[in-house]
Amino acid sequence: MRPRLTTFAAALALLLLAAPFAGLAIVTDWRHLGFAHGDGSAVAVSLGLSLVALLLIVALGTPLAWWLARHRVRGQWLVDALLLLALLTPPLAMGLLLATMYGPYGPAGRLLERAGLLLTNSAPAFVMAQFYAALPYYVLAARAAFEGVPRELEQIALTLGHSPARSFFHVSLPLARLGLAAAVALAWVRALGEFGVVLIVAYYPQGIPVKLWTNLQDIGLSAVYPLLWVFFLVALPLPLALGLAVRRRLA
Amino acid sequence: MRVDYRIEHPVALSASFEVEGFTVLLGASGEGKSLLLRAIAGLLPARGEPFDGLPPQQRAVGYLPQGHALFPHLNAWQNVAFALRGPHRRGHAVEWLERVGLATLAERRPAQLSGGQQQRVALARALARRPQLLLLDEPTSALDPATRDDVLAELIAEVHVAGIPALAVSHDPALAAVADRLVLMHGCRIVQAGTPMEVHAQPASGAAARLLGLRNVLRGRLAGAADAQRLVWEEAGVSLPVRTALADGTEVDWHIAPEAVALHEADAVPADTIVARVELRQMTAHGRYAGLRCGQARLWASLPSGDVAGTVRLGLRPSAIRCWPA
Repeated sequence: MRPRLTTFAAALALLLLAAPFAGLAIVTDWRHLGFAHGDGSAVAVSLGLSLVALLLIVALGTPLAWWLARHRVRGQWLVDALLLLALLTPPLAMGLLLATMYGPYGPAGRLLERAGLLLTNSAPAFVMAQFYAALPYYVLAARAAFEGVPRELEQIALTLGHSPARSFFHVSLPLARLGLAAAVALAWVRALGEFGVVLIVAYYPQGIPVKLWTNLQDIGLSAVYPLLWVFFLVALPLPLALGLAVRRRLA
Repeated sequence: MRVDYRIEHPVALSASFEVEGFTVLLGASGEGKSLLLRAIAGLLPARGEPFDGLPPQQRAVGYLPQGHALFPHLNAWQNVAFALRGPHRRGHAVEWLERVGLATLAERRPAQLSGGQQQRVALARALARRPQLLLLDEPTSALDPATRDDVLAELIAEVHVAGIPALAVSHDPALAAVADRLVLMHGCRIVQAGTPMEVHAQPASGAAARLLGLRNVLRGRLAGAADAQRLVWEEAGVSLPVRTALADGTEVDWHIAPEAVALHEADAVPADTIVARVELRQMTAHGRYAGLRCGQARLWASLPSGDVAGTVRLGLRPSAIRCWPA
């Protein structure tokens, strides 16, 4: 491709990306920026519970990603298929599947409810919905990050007298950190913005995406824009900072 | 130290030999030499002594893989300190770097070091682990040819000072030349072992001679009885008088030293000599050679003085020809 054509295509892509947000900036009534009742708690719910979901995703997804990157077992395509399935399932359908499994009449839901964990319209249900929505993205990105770490360096750490665990924390993790940062950013964005899955299993407590929906239903567009601005304000810093840190390292 | 290992997979290999001082295991590519080192380091499922059955972190080996495998996210002293524990890690690491002459580069990242410097950092790191055995995989492969001999001399001096037996695997005859002990591997097994002098004096086979980097190791077949034996050199389409104790019809690897190849002017014709064409002349710091084309084969001859060109006749003395059953 000729350089001018490339520049033109890139500029067009940027323009298309920017268009909806330019529209938002234009239609927002900046003089009468008012918040609907419950917007504040929606922000708190979104931020707080997404953080919990993110911690769970990192805690459980990292070992899985590492295992997938480092082991070849027969039937591994089944694991790949499972991850793809989780990615492919439309959010609404995933919500329904979760409700079927963990809902009050679901096999796991009944057991967990007896143990005191209610996974419908509760904070844990909200976290669960985000967890399912973002985990496969995190695992795929983190696996690629670990696959980029030369196996030889992990083995050298062993021959220098370190346990596999120490080798993981002192070699694999630092060398994969750029890719892992990208994976965390991706998981955060996916979890925070998730609507479909959350709508089905945790209509309450309301996070920002569901609150945008109820604001639209109850009040109208004018109640959507202010909350959307706040959403950008709270959601953007983490992935933006991670992305900048990665780019600075690579430069 | 005696090394005795058996590997089943991915290549079936068994090796048993003595490691003393700087021992070089010489073998062609694909013989599984690197696998053997990885097996001794515990990075590959295998059975054998020393360290049988121990996980890699409990084996007292200093393993230097090809390319040195320094941690790119750590600088030189941190790389060395990786093998150390305790509050004085940094001080000890810098002492190890001092021993290999690199204390001034302690803050450098591996990417900012030359190949030889990286190797010395890797050596310092391996020594800091206080190993009972050093394992070096192709230690000359990443070195600049111009400085290789010096870097190698430095490495061997370090190994001698450390007093730790070292096993280096390589296909590089130049490394074999500086070994305390030489082990030759062919066909995934050990074919010869001894001091370099013993092994060079009496290579056990044609394959051993090729591994040692000898020029003019060729294929042939013996014909005739012991008193009038001839070596049929099919590639050149000629036969030569030889004296061996091998039977008529034996397929052989044979060798003649380039120094023993006599060159005559084409017109001064002893009747049973071989006609050859001078293909190229090689000038090295260690001598001058002519590459001669004889039919399909190439033969090297040393050029003590003067020059040759065009067509020559070769004199190959029977007593200078050595034959091994192939």
